[in-house]
Amino acid sequence: MKIRYLPHMADIRMKIEGSTLEELFIAGVLGMGNILREGFCDKNGPFVLKSKIELMAQDETCLLIDFLSWVLTTSYSEKAIFCEVVFFELTRKKIRAEIHGRQQSQGFDEEIKAVTYHEADVHKNNNGDWVTLIIFDI
Amino acid sequence: MKINKTDILKIEDFLWEIPKAFHPKMRVPARILASEPLLDAIMEDRSLVQLVNVASLPGIKGASLVMPDVHEGYGFPIGGVAATLYPEGAISPGGIGYDINCGVRLLTSNQKIEEIKDKLEGLSKEMYAQIPSGMGKGGQIKLSAQEMDEVLLKGAEWAVEKGYGVKEDLDFMESKGRLENADPSMVSEMAKKRGTDQLGTIGSGNHFVEVDYVEEIYEESIAEAYGLSKGQVVVLIHTGSRGLGHQVATDNIRQIMSAMLKYSIEVPDRELACVPFNSEEGQHYFKAMCAAANYAWCNREVISWEARTAWRNIFGPAIEPLKLMYDVAHNIAKVETHLVDGKQAQVIVHRKGATRAFGPGFEELPKSYKLVGQPVIIPGSMGTCSYVLAGASRSNELTFGSCCHGAGRRLSRTAAKKQVNAPVLKENLKEKGIFVEAGSFKGLAEEAPIAYKDVNIVVETVIDSGIAKKVAKLRPVVVVKG
Repeated sequence: MKIRYLPHMADIRMKIEGSTLEELFIAGVLGMGNILREGFCDKNGPFVLKSKIELMAQDETCLLIDFLSWVLTTSYSEKAIFCEVVFFELTRKKIRAEIHGRQQSQGFDEEIKAVTYHEADVHKNNNGDWVTLIIFDI
Repeated sequence: MKINKTDILKIEDFLWEIPKAFHPKMRVPARILASEPLLDAIMEDRSLVQLVNVASLPGIKGASLVMPDVHEGYGFPIGGVAATLYPEGAISPGGIGYDINCGVRLLTSNQKIEEIKDKLEGLSKEMYAQIPSGMGKGGQIKLSAQEMDEVLLKGAEWAVEKGYGVKEDLDFMESKGRLENADPSMVSEMAKKRGTDQLGTIGSGNHFVEVDYVEEIYEESIAEAYGLSKGQVVVLIHTGSRGLGHQVATDNIRQIMSAMLKYSIEVPDRELACVPFNSEEGQHYFKAMCAAANYAWCNREVISWEARTAWRNIFGPAIEPLKLMYDVAHNIAKVETHLVDGKQAQVIVHRKGATRAFGPGFEELPKSYKLVGQPVIIPGSMGTCSYVLAGASRSNELTFGSCCHGAGRRLSRTAAKKQVNAPVLKENLKEKGIFVEAGSFKGLAEEAPIAYKDVNIVVETVIDSGIAKKVAKLRPVVVVKG
């Protein structure tokens, strides 16, 4: 799993890779959590706050963006950062999962307004790994 | 898609065009309002590719446009304007942005900078204490479900009714601080939940509250009408609809993307997702967007109340209260009447990082401004200056009554953080007489003056193109950031 932050004029551009679709989705959650609070997921376990999700979308790109948007919304409503994902079902068009995190009483480092579809394109690279860019509106 | 300088035609000294023939999907030409050096700078990012993409929107009229402060966004460029034919033309949430009705307002005082110089440091700390800023900071007001619906319906009027605002302010806001098409039932419960405790908060990023003084007056008669004079202290507020607006946009982009197939609409970028304005999904979004816009006007009115409280706490209860000069949105869609193909027609004007700039005679303006045109407030950066302009009638001819909204970024956040030592910046600004209170040094570095284009050049371009008149220059002395 790889997470990299690339330059963007006004927002945050993140590149994520995973050997499976599950890994790619986990990379998205960890990468976003790291923007909300740097290093939070590395040291704040166990992640006792849980929330379940079921989503359908027209393709794997929309599914990932919709999933991360939902995780972000839950972060704001619960004032928490999520770091783990347990998958019950993950296909290219459907996800059923549970996210695990922890409340963050000291606030976040960054306010992400939204996870955008712009430049997002979930696909396999030449090494057979799943990869996409994600632009966060800051 | 690659755009070369040779693909761009010069129409006037400050107006450039990428013709419709450039790309088969373009329905109208793409126009850039810029001086040649600014155009060269604009070509360094993907703004113009995004502008060309916007020109493919169903029902778009005239041209897709960018202002001189444009920079790359997601889908639409920031600093973009697009007008689609009412009622069946497209409405695209991406053409408004996630921060619905992000905007600016200017409050005027009756004090001169020389009179309050020794109180600026205390004022900066009091402003920071009174106005919640930064991530996760809730406001003093916790809305019940019924109160939330009232805010979404009434906008700034709600704040006035509850004692958080001033009745006289309402006349001095774009659309009087309330869009009539708002429907709270179109706003999701999650969006409402996110907005419950955020009224009266500025958030983070490029949002701020500043105390400035009027350094220079350019048009005496217009400045007089606006109540501005040299040396006068003013307060500038920049923020929007906070988490509620972000959620409204997120909810609706998803819904609209799924609906596009039904209307046989294809777009070159998912963030340009759109549907006919008069479709069920289009109306759902528009009514929710109007509600979020009302929340933003209410938010800026409550922040003004907090700023007025800080003012009284520092200068005493007898001090003349701060008076609202004007409040304008720069992320919004509105149905307006403009000249289209030689005839007056109703269009849905999307402004994303662009300010309405109507000239003299516009009916909605308060009586005292009707002869001089609508105030246009252009924030610069924390260490430079901001401007008050007046909309001119040529804006209706060239830009669907629109103007720029700021300086525009020239460095990415990452690049700014690499180049700027925030504690040193804060000290340097203090030496220049600018007191900064910020939630984090990281945020301060990202918003450093070096990260922005020269606002003077941007403003000169809009003045020279004739879409606005230069009225006053403002110099910051206190900056509060999230």
